[in-house]
Amino acid sequence: MERAIRDEAADVHALEPEAFLEEVHSFEFWFHSVQGYLAGQTFGHRPDVHGAPLAPSEREHLVTVLCNYCVGETAALEGASGLVAIAPNRLTKIFLATQVADEGRHLEVLLHRLGELGVAAPEAEIERRASRSLLHFKRRLLELVQSRDWEAAIFAQNVILEAMEFTVFQSHARTADLVTREVLQGIVKDERRHIGFGENELGRRLQASPHIRARIGEVKKELDHWVLESFEETLREIGVPNEERPELGRNYLEVVARLGFA
Amino acid sequence: MRWGGMMSDFLSIYSVQHWLESCPQGYLVGTEYGHRPSEGEPELILSDPLLREQAIGTTVQLVVGERCALAASSGLINSAPDEASKRFLATQTLDEARHVEIFTQRLFDLGVKKSELESAIHQYANPNLVKFAEVLLEKVDRKDFVAGVVGQNVVLEGMAFSVFEMMYAGSQTLNPKFAHTLSGTIADERRHVGFGENRIGSLIQEYPEKKPAIERMQKEMSYYMLATFADSFRNNPAREELKKLRGSMSGYGAPKAEWHGADLNALEPEEMERLLADTVLKEFKIRLGRIGIEYQTPARP
Repeated sequence: MERAIRDEAADVHALEPEAFLEEVHSFEFWFHSVQGYLAGQTFGHRPDVHGAPLAPSEREHLVTVLCNYCVGETAALEGASGLVAIAPNRLTKIFLATQVADEGRHLEVLLHRLGELGVAAPEAEIERRASRSLLHFKRRLLELVQSRDWEAAIFAQNVILEAMEFTVFQSHARTADLVTREVLQGIVKDERRHIGFGENELGRRLQASPHIRARIGEVKKELDHWVLESFEETLREIGVPNEERPELGRNYLEVVARLGFA
Repeated sequence: MRWGGMMSDFLSIYSVQHWLESCPQGYLVGTEYGHRPSEGEPELILSDPLLREQAIGTTVQLVVGERCALAASSGLINSAPDEASKRFLATQTLDEARHVEIFTQRLFDLGVKKSELESAIHQYANPNLVKFAEVLLEKVDRKDFVAGVVGQNVVLEGMAFSVFEMMYAGSQTLNPKFAHTLSGTIADERRHVGFGENRIGSLIQEYPEKKPAIERMQKEMSYYMLATFADSFRNNPAREELKKLRGSMSGYGAPKAEWHGADLNALEPEEMERLLADTVLKEFKIRLGRIGIEYQTPARP
């Protein structure tokens, strides 16, 4: 019967709230979602897609950018796995487990792309090229998870970090070489699901307990600086013109604003 | 800490890509909650209150074990010393979440109401299994990666592997839906045990000082495991009902439920307990030996 619901009502939003959460937080839902866009791909792209050779300076910029994406995805992997322990119920634990696997996949496809670009020791390269602001963000995110502050941690992880990655990856995919583009487009599809979870989870909690808004606002104020700084660094590396950068920053802020945090 | 190229090559068989191709895009294709969509629990179990309660009790232990495995695998990611291990544990985290989901779904299929799930788990969870989980999760909470992986991927997964195999053998004829559900989890557990054995050996060599604590943990977890088996087989209120059912199955010429050379339908519960315990402990001894840990014989409850 549940399968019938899934097949007939592709729009899960037609379900009652309880049934909706039971559906979208399940392994089964994840399984059917990713099957569509990961089938036939190897390490995030079609095996027969090859990028045109890059000029040395282009390669250099791309390696730096990918190394920083790896920092972000490692933060997301460690953050999401830590969140499993403090998730308040079975459904959120299961959703976060799907996110853990997604983040592990993102890290893997990005590392694989670095390998394709000739980076022999990616871990050392990441350490060498990691942005200070992104590392600071990662440290704060993991501290929030460690402190078992569910709302603040889910805000930092599934709203701020995921929205930042979503905006940057989507923008980068437009101008990237073919292989990197496919890799990023696959990641963006996952990020959409993660942001949806964050907004839904936090939105319901904010509605039920408005007093947590002030605490989340403080977290946002603290993290905004590091997010926007690493944003600026990455956009510069991927060659986004100066005049377009504020607009991308606004896109990111809009996602956060949907939860009422201007 | 740096890991050489050889380690990366070896760990590539535990990549997310490999997992995607073999598991979600492999043996899980066409399944729903781990079994074929058309399959349901047998009427015999649903209509007999004793058998139904027995099935609920057994499934609750599986949920408890898998919840522990989910907490442990996700909890170990942050203490993993290399990226490849983190990524493998990410796939294992999702495997364990899937196991929690499919066994929870079985409870619903057996008639447990969603609103009563937690109270049913609380009612039926075996206290010895809970203690078994606590010993492991204490290592995970301390971010002791080596002990955590031995406890999770060798002891817990090794136990689950044999328990699932035995249940699979016993369910093939009686309950094909449950047998199919188990077959996917067995394939997963095989991968998890393989990772534990292959990854931990080199870490044990690197940190030999950790051996005594790991051996104590194995002995303690093994004791609670045996105590769980004892409770399940010796104090089973559905014992006579199950015996009658198995007798009628063989009377109708149903195939033997063979496992490790024994016909499960013909065994007394105490014999099944001994067979399971001996099989798991023997496997522990072999696997621990492979990673350089000396097996400790647990007390028998």
